[in-house]
Amino acid sequence: MKTQAELKAIARFVAEYATRLMGSGVHTSRVVRNTKRLGEALGVRVIVSAFQRVVNFSVFDDESGEVYSEVVDIPPLPISFELNAELSALSWEAYDRRLSLEEIEARYREIIARPRIDPLFTLVVVGLANAAFCRLFGGDWFAMSIVFTATLLGFFLKQGMQNRGFNHYVVFIASSFVASMYASVALTFDTTSDIAIATSVLYLIPGVPLINGVIDIVEGHVLNGIARLTSALMLIVCIAIGLSATLMIVKSGLL
Amino acid sequence: MMWLEILSDGFFAAVAAIGFGAISDPPMRAFPSIALLAAIGHALRFVLMQWGMDIASASLCASVVIGVGSLLLGGRIRCPMTVLFIPALLPMIPGMYAYRTVFSMIMFMKTLDDPTLGAEYLQAIVRNGFITFSVIFMLAAGAAAPIFLFNKRAHSLTRDKKYLRK
Repeated sequence: MKTQAELKAIARFVAEYATRLMGSGVHTSRVVRNTKRLGEALGVRVIVSAFQRVVNFSVFDDESGEVYSEVVDIPPLPISFELNAELSALSWEAYDRRLSLEEIEARYREIIARPRIDPLFTLVVVGLANAAFCRLFGGDWFAMSIVFTATLLGFFLKQGMQNRGFNHYVVFIASSFVASMYASVALTFDTTSDIAIATSVLYLIPGVPLINGVIDIVEGHVLNGIARLTSALMLIVCIAIGLSATLMIVKSGLL
Repeated sequence: MMWLEILSDGFFAAVAAIGFGAISDPPMRAFPSIALLAAIGHALRFVLMQWGMDIASASLCASVVIGVGSLLLGGRIRCPMTVLFIPALLPMIPGMYAYRTVFSMIMFMKTLDDPTLGAEYLQAIVRNGFITFSVIFMLAAGAAAPIFLFNKRAHSLTRDKKYLRK
């Protein structure tokens, strides 16, 4: 049996846990499952309904019949697979070892305090990745080097603009325009220039919401799935706008 | 000769998957599995397409293999399936078809007063757009299929077996 204060403390932590997962790009059914498991570990029943921007939930204490409900905003966080893996593992550990709320919370603080991958490292590997991608589409070594530098430039711009808090769509349009415009220098050389231009914007593809959207729809969280796919589609449209601007400028070279 | 092509295809797919995966901040221990899955998946698609299979069906086969692979590898390093298969799928995104769709759209708008050329570009939009859409859908659906087929196992990959509670 939980006191009001205990129930409230559990609800507050469950709220933070669930919104952190939703914000980090975890598909809906996993968030619901993990949160319920965490609740079970703490001796309460949790019912969650998660939306794109907000999480709604109730915490039930079945012994006393007390219910505590809350609605919390989902913070806009960067996608993090590490949090996805570690926080899922935390819910299992809490469940299997019957950890107390204090222990779980301490572990949680320790997990979210871990640093993300160094942005500079990400920048370089994304450049290499896009160059390799160019190769897969049949680009030659020269096109690959152009794509590598174009991606460095575009991704650096994206990181910088995101840190300054620019609008999402503006960031995507600007990065795709800059990367593809830079890649169009390939036109002045004898190389696979159309492949270079096409590949230069692909580092922007929002793969995580696209695939999560399909998973959500198939698992019955249809509204969330459609919301994810729609926001991914908006970003793809933005990439296309940036790319179109380049193509309109240089198209005579491509025909 | 053929083997060299398959190996280089797998290698570049692995590099692409590691780089695109790094954007989403996966745990360090996941990288080898991501690279392996991406290489196997992309090389498989390459081989199937060499044998004359179309790109959508080949993508479906490759993504199912990636999905099952992430189920098998995920338990050992305690990572959920999505953490492994989303980066591994990214090198299979049909970028050239997507690009040709956008390019044809622009050219269509530029040739409005020439019906013959317009019809050609319209056909190119539908053709490339449809291929892009179906490949992406097949990738997502194929890799996610093992989650639904092996529900129980897929949901407990991050569970530490040493604390198992009955």
